[in-house]
Amino acid sequence: MLIPSVVLFGIDIVTFSVDLLIIYAIYLVVSLTLNLEAGFSGIPNFGKAMFVAGGAAIAGSVSGRLSAFVVGISYSGDYSNSAPVIINKLNAALSNNPILSIEILLLGVALAAGIGAVLGYLASYPAIRLREDYLGMLLLASAQFFQIFLRSYPPVIGGVQGIEVPDFFGWANTEPGARDIVILGVVTLFTVLVFVYFERVARSPLGRTLRAIRDNEVASRALGKDDVAIRKRVIVVASAVSGMAGALLTFYVESVGPDTWSRQDWTFPFWVIIILGGAGNNSGVAIGAFTYAFILKAVDKGKFLFQGVLPSTTFNYLQYLAFASLLIMVLALRPEGILPERSTLTLKRETVAGIIQTERYSPDKEAEDSSLKKAG
Amino acid sequence: MAIGLTLTYLTTKVPNFAYGSFVTIGIYSALSFYSLYGISPYGALPVAFLLGSLTSSGMYLGILRTLARRGSSLVALMIATLAIDIAFVGIFGIYSDYLYTAYRIIYATNFPQLPGDFSLYGVPGIAFAAPYSLALITLGLFALLTETKFGVAMRASIENPSLARVLGINVEFVYIFAWMLAGGLASMSGAFYSLWLPGGIDVGSKLIVEIFASSVLGGLGSIYGAALGGVIIGASEILVTTVGVDIFGSSVGIYQKGIPLVFMILTLLVLPQGLISLKVRKVVRSIPTLRAFRLLRYLHLRGD
Repeated sequence: MLIPSVVLFGIDIVTFSVDLLIIYAIYLVVSLTLNLEAGFSGIPNFGKAMFVAGGAAIAGSVSGRLSAFVVGISYSGDYSNSAPVIINKLNAALSNNPILSIEILLLGVALAAGIGAVLGYLASYPAIRLREDYLGMLLLASAQFFQIFLRSYPPVIGGVQGIEVPDFFGWANTEPGARDIVILGVVTLFTVLVFVYFERVARSPLGRTLRAIRDNEVASRALGKDDVAIRKRVIVVASAVSGMAGALLTFYVESVGPDTWSRQDWTFPFWVIIILGGAGNNSGVAIGAFTYAFILKAVDKGKFLFQGVLPSTTFNYLQYLAFASLLIMVLALRPEGILPERSTLTLKRETVAGIIQTERYSPDKEAEDSSLKKAG
Repeated sequence: MAIGLTLTYLTTKVPNFAYGSFVTIGIYSALSFYSLYGISPYGALPVAFLLGSLTSSGMYLGILRTLARRGSSLVALMIATLAIDIAFVGIFGIYSDYLYTAYRIIYATNFPQLPGDFSLYGVPGIAFAAPYSLALITLGLFALLTETKFGVAMRASIENPSLARVLGINVEFVYIFAWMLAGGLASMSGAFYSLWLPGGIDVGSKLIVEIFASSVLGGLGSIYGAALGGVIIGASEILVTTVGVDIFGSSVGIYQKGIPLVFMILTLLVLPQGLISLKVRKVVRSIPTLRAFRLLRYLHLRGD
């Protein structure tokens, strides 16, 4: 099968859409986790970058070492330094061995989930004890430190310059572009699973408990809900999923470095997405994530049209400025977002409607009513 | 720097994530003055103060107050300050790109510390200027808050806005003044900063860890606490790093930035009200002892 190529404005639309959709899926997953934390449970996670970065870093650093070990490529000294030298050999070996590739890939994602959960557990320790504002500050500061740690501790991901990650989808690349389509399939599957899971959580009794805790902690505690344990669980689950998203991103771009995980690029966007789409509404978040990813990628492609007129970095800065203004405007003018939070229906809409109907038009009730009227 | 954060926190009860960016304003005004006109960063201090106070009060009036009046929650206000911080990074980025295209200043996004410092007995002047100005600012604030009528009005509006309003104090004006002061001080410290350390578009945003840590350590509710916290955080960062490097080798140096974080976590878990609460706590703690002592004496007397 040959992948068609449609060129518009000097941009290959197929490649562009595949790239856009992969990035969209990853952003959507992380936004959903933030929505679970901030939208449903009221935990202001201003340190999202840390959890995604944790997953990405562990996946990047372990998978490369492990595959070098399994394939039997020896390197002298530190892995981070020798990665550029052996990466081609590794990729060649891995592309001939799809099963091994997939195994290491899954292991990487699992490890990322693990490290995400651990970081989440650590973060949840103060989370339960602090007020919103202190907690937000603490998470923000922790994420900042985590980035500094990644940058200045070379054994993890090679310090400042980052490391390259072997290509675990090399076997799929029978023709140019096929690899990305396979990744899109994998990422889509993951995203759909996460979306369904989070949507089910939101509709479950647990989801209603979360909202109850968010809206009135004292009352929910009085009703016997253990808010501490529930919040802890929310942070751990959300962070684990964020870590997995980070790992998938790493495997897609085939490298991981410390400078990616700044507050500007990996915490702030998700707040834009959930506020724009509607906090506490997963479908709204899906819309918000698409808006964000589309603008991000379109500007990324479009800025080359202005080459020579404006420095390309200016567009990144303009983007920060534009998204920040957008966020503040949404907060001021439509704080509930595009799709506001709805009260969840535990039963199907038709069932509820049916119950109401029978209630209203039941002959017994009518008779009762009329007899009451007569009596009155 | 932490003094200003505490001031803004006191007035609006929102942790200001954009606070670090006011520092960057100072850094960039120093850079522009130096690279465009060759003026030393000291010359940029007044402009930095002015710019910082204008943006800061503009941010309060234009965004935070508007949002608060529309009934935004605490988290929404925090998100807004985060957005403002990101917007600032964007603005400084565009500005440095502009400096690059218009004046060919290639190092505008990331530059080393600026020259133009005087030297006193072979020690760079900043080593004198920074601590003395900190002391001066703290003393000045202390005098303002305790000795002047406006200062008393300010404290009243911070402690109990509605009561202050009843007494005819213009609370809004006091808040705007606090924000102006905070932004101006931060921006001024940015100009000092540029003399000592390398600058860049997101330096301020990165400083936020230290700033928060200083404020929290000192107690978010106290201005003097913030000054104390700033000194402790700064000194311990340097001290622990140098001592640590001596003991464990140079690999410890990279964890320098972790120290304020550790301080912050410890403070939040052990002493959430900050250092300034220590005195009060001691008194409270001594009460049971006092009672026990009286009880003992009473029993002793009865035994007689």
